[in-house]
Amino acid sequence: MLEVRDLVCGYGHLVAVHGVSFSVKAGEALAILGANGAGKTSTLMALAGHVDIKGGSITFGDEDVTRATPMDRCGRGIAITPEGRRLFSDLTVRENLMVGGYLRSMARAKINLEKVLDLFPRLKERLHNRAGSLSGGEQQMVSIGRAMMAEPKLMMIDEVSLGLMPKNVDICYEALDKLRSTGLTLILVEQSLERVLSIADQVCVLDSGAVAWTGSAGEARGNPEILDAYMGGAH
Amino acid sequence: MLYIELALQGLVNGSMYAIVAVGLTLIYGLLRVLHVAHAGLFTLGAYITVLLTNATGSLVAGTLISMLVVGIVGMVVYRLLYEPLLAQPPYVALIASIGLFIAMEEGYRIIFGPYGNSFASTWLTERVTLGPFSMAAADVAMLLGAIVLLIFLAVLMGRTRLGMAWRATVTDPAMARSFGVDTIKVRYGIFFVASVFAAVAGSLVAVLNNLVEPTMGDVPSYKSLAIIVLGGLGNVTGTLLASLLLGVIEAYGTIYTGAYLDRDAIAFVFLIAVLMIRPQGLFGAR
Repeated sequence: MLEVRDLVCGYGHLVAVHGVSFSVKAGEALAILGANGAGKTSTLMALAGHVDIKGGSITFGDEDVTRATPMDRCGRGIAITPEGRRLFSDLTVRENLMVGGYLRSMARAKINLEKVLDLFPRLKERLHNRAGSLSGGEQQMVSIGRAMMAEPKLMMIDEVSLGLMPKNVDICYEALDKLRSTGLTLILVEQSLERVLSIADQVCVLDSGAVAWTGSAGEARGNPEILDAYMGGAH
Repeated sequence: MLYIELALQGLVNGSMYAIVAVGLTLIYGLLRVLHVAHAGLFTLGAYITVLLTNATGSLVAGTLISMLVVGIVGMVVYRLLYEPLLAQPPYVALIASIGLFIAMEEGYRIIFGPYGNSFASTWLTERVTLGPFSMAAADVAMLLGAIVLLIFLAVLMGRTRLGMAWRATVTDPAMARSFGVDTIKVRYGIFFVASVFAAVAGSLVAVLNNLVEPTMGDVPSYKSLAIIVLGGLGNVTGTLLASLLLGVIEAYGTIYTGAYLDRDAIAFVFLIAVLMIRPQGLFGAR
């Protein structure tokens, strides 16, 4: 479904990712791991169209989306749950979700809204609250819900567990597991290994903006020393 | 009775400030640009309305065409003036905007002459009596016009996808784009709506004073800048409340402080006083 070849990207003159390659099959979950500054978020933001791509290619389905705008990528089925959630804080929860479904018809957006509320029932009572007033866990639920509203084929989630209480991490991972079981393809960026390895099929470890190791999640679980070497004991 | 009439007069002026300032604050919220040339569009709206009304005999037709033309001119101003400057520091766009405003005023002076134009028919200067109160028909039109426009704005911003897209774009344009919001179209849409508001305000002031002159945008330009600072930059509700409050304060001020403080100076004394206590404005978040 997604093929990334020799991706080089960065900000202005700064190059954050040097020739990263990986691929994800439809319905698979890929975990991108690495220590702080390894280039995980830059890779994800480049896939979403928010970072200057200086080289390499990104193919989604059969189409080259290397130069596609974020809008085009959303239309083709790529949605992101970014680091720090980046909700529209002055908009209500409902409005945030409806912006997620901006490219869909009103009728489809309403159907998708019901699906989001089924997945995160806690949001039902928060629908008319300002997103900025929610707890971190609730904001993460809105962020995942907003991405669901876009009817993605590929959902990318950056640091889903960062700053959340364990109970909320459980809720979010259970939701991601359910989404995966519907056939949705996932890319998860995480520093916390335990949860992400329970959901991922494949693992790609980045170090200093390059791929340091790739393999199946089972291999990663069986070789903790590999992860130790690149994660700096973060897990 | 005097107090109530002063309050009504204040609300009429405040309504005019609100229609002009709300457009400015919409644009500021979106681009972080102080669109001083907005007042030039206000004057353009007034000229088109008075000329078309005199030519066709219909104030409604004159105002509607003025709204459409000024809305389009607003989008052209965005495309030609601001879009090329968005990557520059904000003061570059501000200087360009002041330059355009001066050029527009001089342009009006050359095209329409320095002495001003008036409506051939002046029925709107007649007075309307409502129980014990008496107001000029133009004052009533101003109040009603403001109410209709502000309700329209509230519905547009709160109930439509364009409004949601605008508010999402203000908060985080990159994320808005990630979900398919065409932020370029949102900018054109906001410039159109804001400029239509300027045209309506200009048309109503033209009717109120029965005079359109090249410099009629001067007072609204600096006063609306004071208002959007008072309201908390980019805060639409704050701008509306600050407009009405300033209108009422000016109305009372002209009676009680008129001997030593000019009406137009009151806005700035009020602005200085408020900023000393609340630097973020009356309704801005700290």
